[in-house]
Amino acid sequence: MTIKDLAQKIFLLEILKGMALTLKMMFTRPITRQYPKEKREPVPGFRGLHALVRREDGNAKCVGCGLCAAVCPSKCISVYTSEASDHTKVVDRYEIEVLRCVYCAFCVEACPYGAVALTEHFAYCDYAREPFFMDKEKLLANWDKFMAGQKGEDYFKKFWRPMSEDFAAHADQAVFRGTKPTPSLSSGGPKKEAVIGVNHAA
Amino acid sequence: MNVFGIAIPAGYEFAVNMMLIIIKIAVVIAVTMLHVLYATYFERKVIGHMQIRLGPMTTGYHGLLQPIADSLKLFFKEDIIPAASDRTVFQIAPIIFLFAALSSLGVLPFFEGFWIANINIGVLYLLAMSSLGAYGVILAGWSSNSKYSFLGGLRSSAQVISYEVAMGLSLAGVMLMAGSLNLTEIVHAQQGHWYGMFIIPQFLGYFVFMVAAFAETNRTPFDLPEAESELVAGYFVEYSGLRFSLYYAGEYIGMLVMASIAVICYMGGWTLPPVMVKALPFLATMPAVFGVAIFLVKVYFHIFLFYWIRATVPRYRYDQLMSLGWKVMIPLALTNIVVTAIVKFIAQ
Repeated sequence: MTIKDLAQKIFLLEILKGMALTLKMMFTRPITRQYPKEKREPVPGFRGLHALVRREDGNAKCVGCGLCAAVCPSKCISVYTSEASDHTKVVDRYEIEVLRCVYCAFCVEACPYGAVALTEHFAYCDYAREPFFMDKEKLLANWDKFMAGQKGEDYFKKFWRPMSEDFAAHADQAVFRGTKPTPSLSSGGPKKEAVIGVNHAA
Repeated sequence: MNVFGIAIPAGYEFAVNMMLIIIKIAVVIAVTMLHVLYATYFERKVIGHMQIRLGPMTTGYHGLLQPIADSLKLFFKEDIIPAASDRTVFQIAPIIFLFAALSSLGVLPFFEGFWIANINIGVLYLLAMSSLGAYGVILAGWSSNSKYSFLGGLRSSAQVISYEVAMGLSLAGVMLMAGSLNLTEIVHAQQGHWYGMFIIPQFLGYFVFMVAAFAETNRTPFDLPEAESELVAGYFVEYSGLRFSLYYAGEYIGMLVMASIAVICYMGGWTLPPVMVKALPFLATMPAVFGVAIFLVKVYFHIFLFYWIRATVPRYRYDQLMSLGWKVMIPLALTNIVVTAIVKFIAQ
């Protein structure tokens, strides 16, 4: 045993060092956040409560392609669509079971039009399961409440930029290009294919 | 007989004396209970800030009303007595614990003349009372009829008994130097030396005493009787409501008593070393106020030390605790006694 070891044993140097550390820590600033009073600013792209994006005309931006439901790992999204009289696809029901969601944001990533979003709202609680079963109206209301205005704009322009913002398909490529009725289709009787390969946007 | 300048007629002396003693006891117990309330707040704040947290913040300004909220909650909680417990012993045990702690306060001098009783065997009485608390602990462990309580009670009694030896031996050094067991005499004896505090010649005794005090009051690093991670809360697992708070109060009063003994026996009580008294002449203007203030500052430093150690040192293992007590602390205390006795003999 060296003299240093002996000194450490006799004078309890390790304990004294520890006590010096705790005393020093006592005079440093506490890192506690007083949560309900001091809320933390969410980082961009925070994954909170779900919302369906509302268009300027008041309807949902969702076209009912069902990619979000397909990609959802916890299978908490269900989309029910039907065909309208003008052969456009109508989203009848769009439902999310919030309690099953794992907040992976794959739905936001998968959506080609940026129609579904995860808001920055996270502190939601209730006494029953029903309030967490979100239908289309509730999801649209969530958008109005938490993401309307500049916030929602930034969300899709800066953070979750959907593919349709930057990439346009080649004119010959077979992609879904909207639901503008063509004369041939409207007169063609009960045809059910979506309009493919015709560039209406151009 | 004369009390506060009022002449007491003959025949009433006994009644007046009794009244005075009861008033003194009431004042000491009231102040101590208030101390217990805010000692918990002090502890939570100190440990919180040492762990870079804030401690209680929401009840009142910076959580100042937290102890009152806690005590109200404990007061109105249901008092549960387990069906399989030994009812009478279960009900008496916390009272024994609290009374052992409270009766130690009877002989503590807070200032010259500020005591309930000034007895000639003060130190011995304090040691006796602090061991009596072990009855409250072991009876609680036994009567709860729960394996956790029982283990906690057994651990506590073994620990208290083994550290009692070291504590008594460490105080023997002080007794040798002071030549008295009277606490006031011990303080006066310290004033007679140029250093004014027995901690300087008795540093070894002070160290052993403090370690034993931690073990006696079941505080970290020797809080094995109530080791949360193993025994939930040790001997008082089955207690709830008011009875639980009696144990809590007893523990904090125990810390206060141990801190007071350390201050009286090693730090000069309400006095300062003669050098400092000369340097600070204003102390003589209001001796009682400054004396009590000096005493309280020293006591609260020791109580802070209890919290400080709790925030720093992890819990000992049980065999380490026992081997530390018997193989290190008792030999150290014995060495201290022998050296003190030899030095005192030579100095004569």
